[in-house]
Amino acid sequence: MAENVVGLAADAEIVEQVKPKSFSYIAFHQFIRTGRSILGVSVLLVLVLAAVFAERIAPYDPYKTNYSNVKQPPSAEHFIGTDELGRDSFSRLIYGARISLVIGFLVSSISTTIGVILGAAAGYFGGAVDMIIMRIVDVMMAFPLLVLAIALVAVFGPSQDNMMLALICLIWIWPARLVRGMILSLRETEFIVGAKAVGATETTIIFRHILPNVFPIVVVQASFLVTEAILAAATLSYLGLGAQPPKAEWGSMLSNAKELMRILPVMSIAPGVAIMVTVLANNFIGDALRDALDPTLRQ
Amino acid sequence: MKKYIIRRLILMIPLVFGVTTLTFALIHLIPGDPVELMMSNARQLTQEEIERIRDKLGLNDPLPLQYVRYLTNLLQGDMGISVRSRSPVSYEIMQRLPDTIILAVSSIVLALVLALPIGILSALKRGTWIDTLAMTFALFGVSIPAFWFGIMLMLIFGLYLDWLPTVGQGKTPIEFTRSLILPSVTLSLVLLGLVTRVARSSMLEVLSLDYVRTARAKGIGARRVNFRHALPNALIPILTIVSGQFATLLGGAVVIEKVFGWPGIGRLAVDAIFARDYLIVTNTVLVFATMVILVNLATDILYTYIDPRIRFQ
Repeated sequence: MAENVVGLAADAEIVEQVKPKSFSYIAFHQFIRTGRSILGVSVLLVLVLAAVFAERIAPYDPYKTNYSNVKQPPSAEHFIGTDELGRDSFSRLIYGARISLVIGFLVSSISTTIGVILGAAAGYFGGAVDMIIMRIVDVMMAFPLLVLAIALVAVFGPSQDNMMLALICLIWIWPARLVRGMILSLRETEFIVGAKAVGATETTIIFRHILPNVFPIVVVQASFLVTEAILAAATLSYLGLGAQPPKAEWGSMLSNAKELMRILPVMSIAPGVAIMVTVLANNFIGDALRDALDPTLRQ
Repeated sequence: MKKYIIRRLILMIPLVFGVTTLTFALIHLIPGDPVELMMSNARQLTQEEIERIRDKLGLNDPLPLQYVRYLTNLLQGDMGISVRSRSPVSYEIMQRLPDTIILAVSSIVLALVLALPIGILSALKRGTWIDTLAMTFALFGVSIPAFWFGIMLMLIFGLYLDWLPTVGQGKTPIEFTRSLILPSVTLSLVLLGLVTRVARSSMLEVLSLDYVRTARAKGIGARRVNFRHALPNALIPILTIVSGQFATLLGGAVVIEKVFGWPGIGRLAVDAIFARDYLIVTNTVLVFATMVILVNLATDILYTYIDPRIRFQ
């Protein structure tokens, strides 16, 4: 072994040339290769900053009513006007970023954690555990997500926290299915069989060989689940089943704007644009992450 | 072939069992005593009277027994009585189900009519500006919240241009069609982006297969190769996607019905939550799941006709 190393070192130049680039190096370069990912990250960064520093950025208090200044059209003082209670719509939009991002990231990360644990348990233990978990997943797949979310909100009661709980109860099935499927297919691959053949322990196989292969794909899916959660949360809030008034949530603002559509269409336009921009940025990042982290897609 | 269909039907039994168990669980998880909800309009009942009604309705029986009774009633089409309207839940749902189906089917047709040509054209013109434009279109399709798209259409075509009605359902056939346009265009957005992408990628994949190259090598014209040889095979994955997204489409229908005041079962369910009419909610959920299961079953059977390879598996 030692001789081999010395022998190779003598050919330092060749070693230098064929030295494989690390996974993270390739992934990072793949990620920043497209302009879209940079755009997505920049937009998301702006949104995160707006959400974190909402108090500093927002020109007005989003919940402060002002009856002498209601239903104002866009102006220099109020960029997108005021609503029927005289609240500044632009300030509400900024606070809305905080709510949507928190919902998106919290729901996605919690559901992914639950899904990974249950999916890994199903794929790894097999047998009865697998059967029970996968039958639950199959049954839940038969229901439209929004329909089941509506029923769960009926069980829990309509509020923002309960809506998030309902979404977590429903979204974990996707990472669970993904992880279970990956573990089952990875177990059959040659490199795992090879690792077993040279005497690797179960723990080594799981933590050194299986998890590093599963992890990137899970991250990609989690980034798309953020989008999914933001859209579902806005939709449920629009229906009055999520964030409740006076909360400055984008979906709830859209539902509030409906009565003023004729005189203040900007109130119906702005929150939707905000949702769309957030979702687009997330999709750009998700697509770039997939190209970067999924080696099977790499050319 | 028959064997395949029978096996597919047998596989459905645990699924139907699971779905009904879930709705049964929902009925019992929803807070509020059913007797009190039912009698909410009547005078205050004494504890004894409530107990007597509970006994009569079988609400004090063990859960397995209640579950069996729930299933038996379901099989006979008995879903209970709506608290709000005092009419049978099954009647309320059947009244509105056709409207939801019309909305769903029309938007699937619309999505296919728009997305298939765009996706296929984008595959044939790969790498050109047409391709870029089509993929940008698809990206926006998956990123715009459907209900907001509906609000925007309402704003443009209803309020500003005044071309189409924005709320409700027309009575005469012409009025009905006019009132269906905006909701079904909105709902088609749910499928549009995805179908465009799948049409493109599946066409690209088929075009790279050997038999297509052979057809070209024989000197068959590009048009004939693309549309007679490649296209039919490229359509198969699209069927999978539409069937797989049917659940998402129905979920979208719930919101779109609410946005446009379309009298389908989605709107019925949402309104029922606020009226605490929970039997309507749980049974609508069950009807939605049944539709999804039936569509997936139909697709699987359809496959055996379209793709003979499946028959021999």
